[in-house]
Amino acid sequence: MKQTFLVKHAVGGRMFIDSNKQELKYTFAPQGEGWLFMVDVPWSEAIEELLARKNELNVFVFQEFDDRPTLKTWYYVKDGPVEYSADQSRLTIVADSRIEYYPHLYST
Amino acid sequence: MINVFPAAERHSADLGWLRSQPSFSFGEYYDPNRTGFGVMRVCNDDYLAPGRGFGAHPHSDMEIVSIVLNGKIRHEDNLGNSVVSSFGEVQRMSAGSGVIHTEFNASEDEELRLLQLWFMPEERGVTPSYEATKYDIEKLHNALLPVVSDQASDQVAWIGQNMTVYLSKLEQGKQLSYVAAADRRLFLYIIEGRLKAHGETLSAGDTAQMVQVSGLELTAEEPAFFMLIDLP
Repeated sequence: MKQTFLVKHAVGGRMFIDSNKQELKYTFAPQGEGWLFMVDVPWSEAIEELLARKNELNVFVFQEFDDRPTLKTWYYVKDGPVEYSADQSRLTIVADSRIEYYPHLYST
Repeated sequence: MINVFPAAERHSADLGWLRSQPSFSFGEYYDPNRTGFGVMRVCNDDYLAPGRGFGAHPHSDMEIVSIVLNGKIRHEDNLGNSVVSSFGEVQRMSAGSGVIHTEFNASEDEELRLLQLWFMPEERGVTPSYEATKYDIEKLHNALLPVVSDQASDQVAWIGQNMTVYLSKLEQGKQLSYVAAADRRLFLYIIEGRLKAHGETLSAGDTAQMVQVSGLELTAEEPAFFMLIDLP
């Protein structure tokens, strides 16, 4: 199974983080009624842009399988918090809820 | 004050299946000086090739309006809606806490042209909702016809923001007046033809953003089809 982690701007889709295109470690797990993402990523202009738009983020986890269709999970980040620790080079994102969807189930 | 943004200076994108002319930053096009107007964040004039469209993707905390100008659009979402709309119809989606949807050109042989409008909502995190409405095309003639508003009716889609979207088709030489409160913004988009607004002549694809213009005079220098939005 191949897993991809993405953070995009919800208005227009500008990419801030793409695990396929940059070296980063990330974890995510349920926290309370939401989810906590911890991403080890160096400071960059993209991170600065992400933080400037922290109320307008689309967070995705895509899971591609060999024997079944791709599952996409979108996480709703309402009020976060979304923070960056320069000391740890760590971005944390708290998401409120999520929707799982199989793109192939929608007509084209 | 009126600021005119000529069509010739607007960004355009051509992906083959999609030709898009965004008024504000969108996708890979990013201009920090063009990220919105008041609560308005997106105004895309899109042309979609037959059978093509946008696959399943999410939205949240955005009021999204699709105005069909030509052809047919098919919307499908995880709320259970599956709707085809054509000219004279409007789709409105309040994304709220999250919705997954698709949008495709429903025709196999006709190009789809639509205006895609996004507005920040008055309230975030609301329950998502979707609505498709139909307006009377005849009522566009020489009048400002509300098609989307927080003051909804049978032919006016409701939106979760204190604003109204008007459409109009004005005959050459005809004039319309619009009175806005002093603290409001006005956004004007010329779909077809040529229109004089507040002393400025605008042609197809041109945009005007106005603030502190309480009495707006609109005169068609040639037959004009346009959209006027009154927003905070």
